[in-house]
Amino acid sequence: MNRLDATRHALAAIGDDPIVTSLGHPTYDLFAAGDRPLNFYTWGSMGMASSIGLGLAIARPERRVFVLDGDASLLMNLGSLATIGWVRPDNLVLIVWDNERHGTTGGQDTATAHTADLAAAARALGVERTASVRTEGELGKAIETAKRDPGPWVIVAKVTEPGSTTKPPLDNVAIKRRFMAAIGNPETAAVTA
Amino acid sequence: MGSPLSNTPAWASGVCAGLDAAGARHVVFVPDNPTSHVLRHLADRYPQIRLTTATREEEAFGIAAGLYLGGARPAVMLQSSGLGNSLNALTSLLIPYEIPAVILVSMRGEQDEWNPAQMPMGRAVRTILDSIGIAHTTLESAGAAAHTLERVSRDAFDRHRPAACLLPKRVTAVMSA
Repeated sequence: MNRLDATRHALAAIGDDPIVTSLGHPTYDLFAAGDRPLNFYTWGSMGMASSIGLGLAIARPERRVFVLDGDASLLMNLGSLATIGWVRPDNLVLIVWDNERHGTTGGQDTATAHTADLAAAARALGVERTASVRTEGELGKAIETAKRDPGPWVIVAKVTEPGSTTKPPLDNVAIKRRFMAAIGNPETAAVTA
Repeated sequence: MGSPLSNTPAWASGVCAGLDAAGARHVVFVPDNPTSHVLRHLADRYPQIRLTTATREEEAFGIAAGLYLGGARPAVMLQSSGLGNSLNALTSLLIPYEIPAVILVSMRGEQDEWNPAQMPMGRAVRTILDSIGIAHTTLESAGAAAHTLERVSRDAFDRHRPAACLLPKRVTAVMSA
């Protein structure tokens, strides 16, 4: 399955829950699959999407929080899996689009193309509930299970590169404000003095 | 604010009181020796403030950003050596998205530093913060801790930006309660 089709499928399965995306293609593909206020697009901070999701899951235990990460990004912040395993937020679902390469920068291999298994890494670091999927059917089933059964969950989805996609607006503050309003936490105006 | 029943240094109890007064409800941290007093005092006296251990300082800022998006007021506590680990999250997430966090920096590499590996970053902390546009205040005395932390925290949360309080050894090395 290609990542854009997988993202469309995931979005349909996720429904109304908040989604945090890793920079680059996970961000572009979610925007293309369906822009909505509860999408929090990162435009930088490679590796931080799973950590942002963890913080959000801690702050909002009544919501299911989804993260769309990439294999290279998660490899950059593997410690995040150890923290997620320790904190055990039962409402966090980390989906890793594993294309086995740095897809945004020319397709250079990552370790998952060779030796690394991110679902096994998650289990070793304390995240017991994992799934490794290769088809849209498997992905949808894994998301349905993760919405029903307590997490934290790590779903590693092997994907191929889709064609070019569109990109969300670059206005970082607008992305944040729209997201915070949609999750029921509207930001008060900043004091500018 | 130090208790006669504990040996929490006055600077550390003041830091806790200032954070609490400004509404900080999460401290995400990578520990060091001086800030261990803050962590112990928070655990003992401030059940309303949740502590989360990060594996690396940059991760702590990512968690803090998520906490803020969800409606909580976060602080991140780290040693000056960890500022280098944090720069990408600060400059490409918290600053451009205007996400506030109180940053508590336990200083190494200043006077009486014994470890040469701490010196370059310790000496560069203020210059780095200036160059990326993060306001910083240095805690000047134990007695000023509560007021200083409350002021720095309100600056962060009122103005939607990370703001730092540097905790120098000349203050934190004082062990008296």
